Amino acid sequence: MQKDQFRQEQRFWLLVSLQLTGEATPEELTELENYLQQHPDMGAKMEMLHSLWKGGPADKNRRADALNRHLQRLSNHLASPALKYETVPAEEEEIMVERPSRKIHRLLWPLTGVAAAAALVFFFVYRQVPKSQPVQAVQNAVSTKRGSKSKIQLPDGSQVWLNADSRLTYDENFRGPFREVQIAGEAYFDIAKDKDHPFIIHAGSIDVKILGTSLNIRNYANEKSTAAVLIHGSIEVTLRNSPDKKIIMQPNEKLVVQNGKMLITRDTLTRQKVADLPVMTLGKAHFRENDSIAIDILWVKNKLAFDQETLEDVARKIERWYAVKVTIKDERLKHTEYSAVFEDESLRQVMQALQMTGNFNYVISKKEVIITP
Amino acid sequence: MKSTTLHLELTVAIREMQERIAFYEDMKAYNQLFELLSDGIFRFTYSLVKSNEVAEEIVSDVFIKLWQIRDRLPEIENLKVYLYTIAKNFSLNYLTKHYKNTVISLEELDVESVIEFNGPAEMCISADLIQQIRRIIRQLPPQCRLIFQLVKEEGLKYKEVATVLDISPLTVRNQLAIAIRKIGEALPAYLQSDFTVINRFSPS
Repeated sequence: MQKDQFRQEQRFWLLVSLQLTGEATPEELTELENYLQQHPDMGAKMEMLHSLWKGGPADKNRRADALNRHLQRLSNHLASPALKYETVPAEEEEIMVERPSRKIHRLLWPLTGVAAAAALVFFFVYRQVPKSQPVQAVQNAVSTKRGSKSKIQLPDGSQVWLNADSRLTYDENFRGPFREVQIAGEAYFDIAKDKDHPFIIHAGSIDVKILGTSLNIRNYANEKSTAAVLIHGSIEVTLRNSPDKKIIMQPNEKLVVQNGKMLITRDTLTRQKVADLPVMTLGKAHFRENDSIAIDILWVKNKLAFDQETLEDVARKIERWYAVKVTIKDERLKHTEYSAVFEDESLRQVMQALQMTGNFNYVISKKEVIITP
Repeated sequence: MKSTTLHLELTVAIREMQERIAFYEDMKAYNQLFELLSDGIFRFTYSLVKSNEVAEEIVSDVFIKLWQIRDRLPEIENLKVYLYTIAKNFSLNYLTKHYKNTVISLEELDVESVIEFNGPAEMCISADLIQQIRRIIRQLPPQCRLIFQLVKEEGLKYKEVATVLDISPLTVRNQLAIAIRKIGEALPAYLQSDFTVINRFSPS
C-alpha cells in the first residue's frame, strides 16, 4: 500500500519535471492534469515550482566586456603565427586577410537565400551610419599646408597633431552617438576617454573605432596605402568595403592597407587575381634602438624619419615637410631604400645625408629638388 | 509548449549565424553568437573548473576554435551542443593537467552549480525558502546538479544534455525528476500571501 503511494508520487514528480522542461508528451500532460484534479493540495507547490523554474540567471552584467576581451584574444591568436617572425630580422610580415579560395566559396553560395539576405541587410545598415553623417551636419575642417604642422583640440578634449599637407574634418557640434572625424593625410590622435561615445576615424578605405587610446593614422591621397599605428589602448579597424571583417589591434602594431586593392568588393568577387595579393598587412611598428617612440610617430616630435622607404616615398615626405617639389630623374633610383631620422635639419643637410648613402646627385633650386644618377 | 517554441526560434537563429560565419566570415554574426551562448557556456565551464579566470579562458578558447573551424560549421547539426561539448572537453583537459595528470571524468567530479532563483516579481517565495532550496540543490549528486543546471539555466533539451554529458537521455530524465521531487517536497503546501514575500531586486 505504502509502496504504491510512493510509486505514484514518484510518477507525479516525473510528470511535473517533464511539464516544466517542455519535454512532456500530450498523454503525459493529461495524466498530470488528472492527478492534480485528484490532489488539489498540490496546487500551491505547482505554482511555486513554475515561478521558480521561470526565474533564470539574472546577473547579466557579470560578464560585461567579455566579448571585447575575447576578441582581443582571438586577434592575438590569429596574428601570433605571423608576428613571431618579427623577432627574426626585420621583414614585413604578412597576413592574408582576404582569402582567395574562400571568395570562390562565397560566390557559390548566394543561393542560400537566408544567409545571403542577412549579409546584405547588415552591409547596408552598417554603411548607412558613417555615410549619413557628413550630409546632415555642418562640418569643421582643419588643414595644414606643406611645410607646416598643427595641433588641434577637439570639442571632447581629444588632441590631434596634424602633419603637413593634411586635413581633418568633423561635425561642428561633435555630438551624437559617435564622435566621428575624417582624415586625409597624417595625424596622431590622443583620444579623450568616453565609453558611451565611440570615436571613429574614417581614413580612406578603413574605419577605425577607438576604445580610448592614442594612435597614428596615415592616409595621403598620393600614397598607395593607408597605415594605422596604435600606441596604446585598443582599436578596431574595419575595411570600408568589407565591414564584416574587424581587426583588433594591439599597442605598437602597425596595420597597412593597400588602397589600390580596395576595389575588391562583394560584387567583384571574381577578380581572383587581384585578391591574391595581401590587402592588409599587420605587423609590429618599428623602433630605433634605444628609442621608445615608434618611427611612424617621430614626426610628432618634429623629427623627419624614413623607415626602409623607397626614394620615391622619401621624396614625397620631403615635399610635404619642406614644401618643395622633388623630381627623381631615374627609374632605378626611385626604388632604392633609405632609413634615417633627422631633427632640426635643413633641406640641404637632409639631401646631403641621403646622397652619401644613396650615391646620387641633386640640385636644389628655389622650391625644387632634382635628383639624378 | 511555450518553451518549445522559444527553443525552436533559438535553434533557427543559431543556425543562421552559423551559416553567416561559415559563408561570409560575418564578424557580426560571430559576435552575436558569442553574446548569445558565452554566458551559459561560462556557467557550465565554471561549474566544472570552479575558477572565473580559467572558465573565461576556456570559453574564449571554445570560440577561437569555432572561428578556426568556420569552414566546417554548416556540417554541424547542433552548434550549441557542439560548443558545450568542446567546453566540457577543454575543462576536463584542464583539470587533468591541473591535477597532475590523473585523468578526470565527469562522474567523479564535484560540480559547483550556478543556479539562480531571481524570479519574477510575483514570486511568492520567502528568502528562507530560497536558502533551503539552494541547500537541497547543493546536496544533490554532482551529475544531477549539473543536469538540472543545463536544463533549467541554459535551456538545453534532455537529448542535448545527454549528448553533451555523454549519458543516456533516460538518465537525464530520471535525474531531473529526482531534482524536481526533492525541491517540490521541500516547498510548503500553501502559498505565503503576506509581507514576508520578497523580491530580491526591490528591497522593501
